[in-house]
Amino acid sequence: MSTYQEFIQQNEDRDGVRFSWNLWPSSRLEATRLVVPVSCLFTPLKERPNLPPVQYEPVLCSRATCKAVLNPLCQVDFRAKIWACNFCFQRNPFPPSYAGISEVNQPAELMPQFSTIEYIVQRGPPTPLIFMYVVDTCLEEEDLQALKESLQMSLSLLPPNALVGLITFGRMVQLHELSSEGIAKSYVFRGNKDLSSKHVQELLGLTKPAAAAQQGRPYGKAKVLINPERMFLQPVHRVDMNLTDLLGELQRDPWPVPQGKRPLRSTGVALSVAVSLLEGTFPNTGARLMLFVGGPPTHGPGMVVGDELKTPIRSWHDIQKDNARHLKKATKFYEGLANRSAGNGHCIDIYACALDQTGLLEMKCLSNLTGGHIVMGDSFNTSLFKQTFQRVFSKDYNNDFRMAFGGVLEVKTSRELKVCGAIGPCVSLTSKDACVSENEMGVGGTNQWKLCGLGPSTTLGMYFEVVNQHNAPVPQGGRGAIQFVTQYQHSNTHRRIRVTTIARNWADANSQIQHIESSFDQEAAAVLMARLGVFRAESEEGPDVLRWLDRQLIRLCQKFGQFNKDDPTSFRLSESLSLYPQFMFHLRRSPFLQVFNNSPDESSYYRHHFVRQDLTQSLIMIQPILYSYSFHGPPEPVLLDSSSILPDRILLMDTFFQLVIFHGETIAQWRKAGYQEMAEYENFKQLLQAPLDDAQEILQTRFPMPRYVDTEHGGSQARFLLSKVNPSQTHNNLYAWGQESGAPILTDDVSLQVFMDHLKKLAVSSST
Amino acid sequence: MENVYVKPGNQERGWNDPPQFSYSLQVTHGPQRKLLNKRPSPATASVSDFSSFPGVLPTPPNSSNTAAPPMCGVAPPPLTQARPPADGVATPPPHAGPMKGQRGASSSQSEPELETVTLVLNKALDACRRAVKDQVCNDVAKRLRLLEESWRTDKLSLPVRRRMVLLASDVQAGRWDSADDLHRSLMVDHVTEVSQWMVGVKRLIAETRQLSPELLEPLHSVVPPVQDPDHQS
Repeated sequence: MSTYQEFIQQNEDRDGVRFSWNLWPSSRLEATRLVVPVSCLFTPLKERPNLPPVQYEPVLCSRATCKAVLNPLCQVDFRAKIWACNFCFQRNPFPPSYAGISEVNQPAELMPQFSTIEYIVQRGPPTPLIFMYVVDTCLEEEDLQALKESLQMSLSLLPPNALVGLITFGRMVQLHELSSEGIAKSYVFRGNKDLSSKHVQELLGLTKPAAAAQQGRPYGKAKVLINPERMFLQPVHRVDMNLTDLLGELQRDPWPVPQGKRPLRSTGVALSVAVSLLEGTFPNTGARLMLFVGGPPTHGPGMVVGDELKTPIRSWHDIQKDNARHLKKATKFYEGLANRSAGNGHCIDIYACALDQTGLLEMKCLSNLTGGHIVMGDSFNTSLFKQTFQRVFSKDYNNDFRMAFGGVLEVKTSRELKVCGAIGPCVSLTSKDACVSENEMGVGGTNQWKLCGLGPSTTLGMYFEVVNQHNAPVPQGGRGAIQFVTQYQHSNTHRRIRVTTIARNWADANSQIQHIESSFDQEAAAVLMARLGVFRAESEEGPDVLRWLDRQLIRLCQKFGQFNKDDPTSFRLSESLSLYPQFMFHLRRSPFLQVFNNSPDESSYYRHHFVRQDLTQSLIMIQPILYSYSFHGPPEPVLLDSSSILPDRILLMDTFFQLVIFHGETIAQWRKAGYQEMAEYENFKQLLQAPLDDAQEILQTRFPMPRYVDTEHGGSQARFLLSKVNPSQTHNNLYAWGQESGAPILTDDVSLQVFMDHLKKLAVSSST
Repeated sequence: MENVYVKPGNQERGWNDPPQFSYSLQVTHGPQRKLLNKRPSPATASVSDFSSFPGVLPTPPNSSNTAAPPMCGVAPPPLTQARPPADGVATPPPHAGPMKGQRGASSSQSEPELETVTLVLNKALDACRRAVKDQVCNDVAKRLRLLEESWRTDKLSLPVRRRMVLLASDVQAGRWDSADDLHRSLMVDHVTEVSQWMVGVKRLIAETRQLSPELLEPLHSVVPPVQDPDHQS
């Protein structure tokens, strides 16, 4: 078992993949019986400090329908200088530049340690990055001032050659001309009327759009024919002073807001103008459209709520009762913009800071389809927003931005596998390849996806199916292979191609089920199933998803559990599956599948981050980490359970979105009594400090920055902890246990113990 | 070490606002000291077996005296023994409140600093006038005047002034990247104080570094600025 753990970890470190199964069942029928599909979490641009890119073009298979990249799995005849494609078996001659290769002089791409390799390719002149600021001016003074300062600060973080543009909006939408001299000019659009892309471009004098408006072509050159007098996008180094002044002089939207009304915010038209502008000037080059809003769209197309304050913005209850007037129309509007933007290769970020909802439910597609960020805060004048925004521009060990653009991911499989789909921040390129399955999971019907914005932690869930017929012999060579080819624009503007080729052994499920079982990666499987659940939840009714999830769990337990029929107490799961039910228990209670107690915007926000993070972070979101600090030893991880809440402990809980430091009752009393100030109780001071120090590292690196809750026994904010822990002790069973440990949680929620009991009963029952 | 700090977040606008880290703390890429991503191993966590306590259950040194009046009723924590802290990596302690710049502390001391800073920056600007457009130079000059005015009227806090001295010293010595990094750190940490004029300094650095060496001669002949005792390169 430990060898599989090592194998799994090595593969994740090297290739950025975590598969649900590391031994693959050799027939379709057996694969479906395994319940959890053959699937993987894949991080295309995983940070690899020890992987220097090579400066030549990848060698491709010459078969037109294949074009797989040369990789370590290929058979090579060094004497004849020929290689055999491991996907289609075509024999290909090496290009002339490979004349000198031999067994002892192999190119990097043939070596097993380079199962992941990156190529730097020259594809036309490098195009600059583009940053388009779209700023809501219907903010309170304090918020507007803080936002202005953050925007000015960001100009110092941009590369000097980057192009910037500015749109401000309130009731009207203003596109600013950025020139380095003369008076400031802007184009004003009415906020209540949407304009077609063509119309916008005509109005802006861009009537000869770049001929390369070729959607989907990753290498499209941006032939920019901007009318020189129309300077909407200019290099930072030329306009930074003027733009800084312009930002500094921004005023709150001048239209007065009557009592009992919301400000008229024309977010829809503002975005429409921005998307059209970028479409007409720089299609198919890396661009980041950053939307800053302090409230919901209330005016024009894409409005989410009217301007009457007495009509509250839709809640989940309203949506379930079909009482959300603007929902369908607004969602459709933003989906249209999102698809256009994705087609142009531009990503859209949403920075939404307000105490009430801002319409993330309707607007989330803008970021989800394009790979942009969603950041949700209470105010622009908070460190959460300011620092999260700074981290958009964070740099890696090479002093390059972590953000990448224009990603196109293509997947190739050996013929026994087909691709069912992907779940993550991507859109389909609807490419019809032989390896595309008719069964769709997530975004399917394709083997190519576009990720307009991506980073080193962006992770897709990829789902496959085994198509070998039952009783067909195990394929020759015994291994199935998958190749991931990601082309993208690096933040230094050059194009790169990263190729990851992996293989796993086929196994006959009849004779080797135990080996297949031990190759199960329960962490990856939990996250992959969770993504499927979230994908369903966003398109189906809530209870159905839970029922589906439960059914899958029961089937998995029936398949792999060791038990005597109808005897729940005999039920056992092997080590490779033992944590899986626990993950499912916490997943069912998580904000990704439970909308209770969250607004539609919050649910959208949590789901947005869940379907793009890597495995470790995703698992933290499903089942938060809990560390305990006490005088009894070094800090240690403890069960996410009410019994871990003890008077003389400090708990640090990380849910990814929140960091909670909870002081037990006695600790809180000592703190209140001020023992930490006394010299002879120095160790108590250190104890109080320890979780803060550990939390710091997370706070310094995580994107988005988490909320930080410092609370104690009896504190109102303790609810963040109490709602997450397994309520093994509640007011219902407090006296049945006769123990005094832990804090009872006042809830009617099912505890993990009760959940497991039910699960075992259903798994062993001969009637299920 | 005023460049390296942790302030509490804005508790008025967001009651669970995380702490604010200085620029230097956000930029360092040391190896991760500790990855808080462990869960208790299944062996100790027998979730389906509730006849024993899951996890470790220590007995507190003193019985939990919960019904205690504030001060005297609570049994005190264990006294300090010679026990080192759990993980001995020192991190800067969080400050109790926002950093207070010592405004106008020793104006007699800040005067020479201001003079040297403006001298260096204006010399750099003069050097630029030969190669860079007038409009740009005038814009930069305008902002340098704003800088001067803010400094004289005690609007700039001590950390800002200190870092500007370092920045000027870097500009004079031709350490462009360092100067650029200082300007960025000031924009991130003290945007409210510097945003009006810092972009001029930024542009000045960008333009000056591109000048040919002979144009930079006058810059090197400036009297070396007063070295700040806390100077860190």
